[in-house]
Amino acid sequence: MKFGNLVIAGIVTGSIYAVFAVCVAVWYRVCNILNLAVGDFAMVGALGVDNLYRVKGLPLPVAIATTILVVGAFAYLYDQVVLRIAQDGPRRAEGIVVTFFFTFALSFFIDGVAKMLFGTDVHAAPALWSGQALTFASLHLERAGLLVLACAVIIGGAFWLYIRYTLGGKALEASGENVVGARIVGIDTRRYRRLIFVGTALIAAVFGIIESPITGYTYLSGATISLTGFLAAAYGGFRKPGRALVAGLAIGVLEALLGGYVSAEYGTTVLYAILAALVLAWPRGLGFESAVSG
Amino acid sequence: MSTENTALKVSNLSVSYGNVVAVHDATFTVAKGDACAITGPNGNGKSSILMGVTGMVRRRGGVEIFGAPAPSGDVRWAARHGLTLVPERRQLYPDLSAADNIILGCYAWTKSIGRARKSPSFGKAIELFPELKPHLKQAAGTLSGGEQQMVAIARGLASDPKILAVDEPCLGLAEAVAKRVYDVLAGIHEQGTTLIIVEEAPKRALTLCNRRVEVRNGVAADFRGDGPGEAGRT
Repeated sequence: MKFGNLVIAGIVTGSIYAVFAVCVAVWYRVCNILNLAVGDFAMVGALGVDNLYRVKGLPLPVAIATTILVVGAFAYLYDQVVLRIAQDGPRRAEGIVVTFFFTFALSFFIDGVAKMLFGTDVHAAPALWSGQALTFASLHLERAGLLVLACAVIIGGAFWLYIRYTLGGKALEASGENVVGARIVGIDTRRYRRLIFVGTALIAAVFGIIESPITGYTYLSGATISLTGFLAAAYGGFRKPGRALVAGLAIGVLEALLGGYVSAEYGTTVLYAILAALVLAWPRGLGFESAVSG
Repeated sequence: MSTENTALKVSNLSVSYGNVVAVHDATFTVAKGDACAITGPNGNGKSSILMGVTGMVRRRGGVEIFGAPAPSGDVRWAARHGLTLVPERRQLYPDLSAADNIILGCYAWTKSIGRARKSPSFGKAIELFPELKPHLKQAAGTLSGGEQQMVAIARGLASDPKILAVDEPCLGLAEAVAKRVYDVLAGIHEQGTTLIIVEEAPKRALTLCNRRVEVRNGVAADFRGDGPGEAGRT
């Protein structure tokens, strides 16, 4: 039953990668920027709640609300100040600078601030649903894991309904397909850039808060999550959210299986080696060419 | 031309891309119910005039749509005031269905998909192209060039325009398909919509248009008369 339990654990982390990969892919389609700071928002969610609750002694709901509010406000300001100057100004930056630089810098910035505020130790937000792991036959599922899965399904489902059944959702897809064509019918693509960036930050923070009791976070945890979400998005060529979702789940399961059967210590190293080999064997699957040339 | 008869008034319009001036001081008016051709060789600024007028690019100079001064660079404003662009090379959303492409034209005036579906402008846009009916659920990118052009025109009509600006509607189309496109444009014009058509070759445009603006080297000259050669500058 070890296999089954590893798969379950893999699906839980994979669902986070999948959601982040979809966020990265959708945002890239709309504004041609790769969000490399998505994991850092998750880290701030986890460590922020831990800090406010455990260190500052705020009640848990207040700590959660404050953290989410701060993350949302920060993301909004970052879009309004930095991304707006970068993309909407008269001297807009183009190409690889916009694609990678701004969110990469943001990731380092958040890490630095987090190190000052939260220190370098491993912490986690308190478990929202404490108790023994749920057991079916010999399969175990952490309660936090169930929350993560539920959250992923709710967020994914809501996003799917939005795309499928609202004009705003179709406008979002249109922005991803053809920015010029979207502007012609009066779609404000900048609004979607802001909406998705802030939305992604909030979703990441929520996942950080509910997932951290399983793995624990340090101020550097964000980069790994971003990288994995980024890779999953890359397998969808950064332009196919559906493929990014499947890739995210697959990477999560693969990571868990490698950790369980190969080596707990070197599981991640082997994982990245396999992912790199896949890229070599199947370069067209990765959208780097199109990502860099726009 | 009296003011209340004017659909579009363009005065001293200039459009530049960086240091390159594409349109220099274009001034012309289009009356309600006109079908106006903008002609001239490729690369002389015809499309840039439309881009500047509809707000797709920033411009200098004044644009008035039915008497209301249009802000520079605001496509949504122009669309809500009745001016819609059917752009060169169509600019569809290739992975979305033809129906979704068309309904997004309604985004100019509503964000409710229900209201968009029930609107007369969407209904008319769909009905105008019976040949699209079997393909409405098909991804727009898989349609033929002519069908894509029809989807682009239908998307323009869904925004309920009073002035429809069409940029090179027949680029790359077979003669028979081009004729069908022009028949549709003539039908739209007959129903009272003001038309502006950008064409490199004026011959076809002038079968439909009663006005012509000739653009050379980014400078627009207003022609009157019903064919090339009979023009007099105003």
